[in-house]
Amino acid sequence: MDSLLLNHASRLASAEGGEHTVTIAGVGVYLGVVLIAMFIYLSMAKKGFGQRVFKNFVTGTFEQLYLFLENMAVNTIGSHGRKYVPMLVTFWLVIFFANLVGLFFPLTPTAVVGFNLGMALIVFGYVQYEGARANGVLGHISHFAGPKLPGVLAVLITPIIFCIELVSELMKNVSLTLRLYGNIHGGHQAVEAINHLTEKFYIAAGEFLLPIKLLTVLVQAMIFCLLTCVYLGLVTGHHDDHEHGDGHGEAAHA
Amino acid sequence: MGRILTFLVIGLGLMVGGVWFSHNVHLGFLDKVAEMGIPLDLGMTIATIGVFLALFPVIDTFYVKPLKEAIDSRNSELESTFTEAENLKSEMGKMRSDYEKRLADTEANAREQIQSSIKEAQNLRQTLLAEATEKADSMVKKANEEIEASRAKALTDIRSQVVDLSLLAAEKVVGENMNNDRNRKLVDDFISTAEVSR
Amino acid sequence: MGIIGLGIAAMGVAIGLGLIGYGAMTGMSRQPEAIGKLQTAMIIALAFVELVFLLTVFVGISSAK
Repeated sequence: MDSLLLNHASRLASAEGGEHTVTIAGVGVYLGVVLIAMFIYLSMAKKGFGQRVFKNFVTGTFEQLYLFLENMAVNTIGSHGRKYVPMLVTFWLVIFFANLVGLFFPLTPTAVVGFNLGMALIVFGYVQYEGARANGVLGHISHFAGPKLPGVLAVLITPIIFCIELVSELMKNVSLTLRLYGNIHGGHQAVEAINHLTEKFYIAAGEFLLPIKLLTVLVQAMIFCLLTCVYLGLVTGHHDDHEHGDGHGEAAHA
Repeated sequence: MGRILTFLVIGLGLMVGGVWFSHNVHLGFLDKVAEMGIPLDLGMTIATIGVFLALFPVIDTFYVKPLKEAIDSRNSELESTFTEAENLKSEMGKMRSDYEKRLADTEANAREQIQSSIKEAQNLRQTLLAEATEKADSMVKKANEEIEASRAKALTDIRSQVVDLSLLAAEKVVGENMNNDRNRKLVDDFISTAEVSR
Repeated sequence: MGIIGLGIAAMGVAIGLGLIGYGAMTGMSRQPEAIGKLQTAMIIALAFVELVFLLTVFVGISSAK
């Protein structure tokens, strides 16, 4: 068993070493594992929907997850945050199951930059789309320019603010990607390094990091959803403030 | 359904495109990024976007919406059950207060009736007693009167007999008929004095 | 040299994480009813500080080569 783990770890190390990168087919296999686990969980949860009280444990956890994410969305985005909950549930499930798979397998989708960048790009694009829909395209772009300044200051400072805001907006992508990648991949690396220390005694000591990694699994899934909520709240929040008076009309045609 | 299919088709297209991109397109700047320790494969990114585009509607339609409906229906059911229970409870409370009131009424009624019957009985007793005493009194009076009358009669009888007897005796003693009016009066006086002295 | 830089970065980030945890704990103990909001804000702050370390790692790797 030890040798098997070590073997996995060393193979992972050689794969990540830079000589040859992880192939898309390999990630696809692990993504398949993740999706199968997720859909097994979901269909087990779906069995209990008909009951009056969710006695089924799996259904109970799914309900708790849903309520938790709904609560988070409503707290950070506002009352209109409920419609983003399905997306958050999807992200949460995929990231959580991918991280769980990462606990037991040498490779996992969330330990791959490309996969994380894909998720981050979805969030980024959706945030821009929602911002444009809530404030109008021009309003959304002018939102990057910061507050309105009088006279000369507007000419001098507004472009600078605009550039900084643009960069920070793009950095949101990078931060979402690298945070997930760094945490999961870093966890693997740490396990690998500690395994390497005790390799002589045929002990995989790195596996004792499992509790910390278990915590990471949960926290990373939560942080991704939380930051998605925060970004969505940032672009749709202003809209909620200054159009509170005729909010009913918006709700009617939305 | 159409929406799901559209998303699925777009997602599948992006997945295939991502795989194709990953195998056939080589971007120079990615090597520099890989040197920084970030092995980025843009084909994988495209494929991931496709996967998620396919996943969103599927999970939304088949899992999240039914869950939401289940939660909502459960909540409404609970709410209706609670309101029903609340109604029943208030109804029961009303019934109980009604019952208690009725019970108290009945009790008061019964007490009143008992009181009134006791009073009636007492009255009856009083009147009966009074009647009885009256009757008894009258009877006693009557008896007394009768006694008095019979005594008086007996007395007069006795007196006349005594007079007769004494006269008889006197006649025998004297031996002559002394039965005249003067003698009778004499004896009578004597007897009346004797009566008085008695 | 890169390893030393990594150590310095880890030290700074650890101090930052500690400060965030300290602040959050103090706030929570003072106002237990605000734990939910504090936790959210704390986790966001932790994520941002952690990101600095991750960026340092990647920049360090690129400069070490």
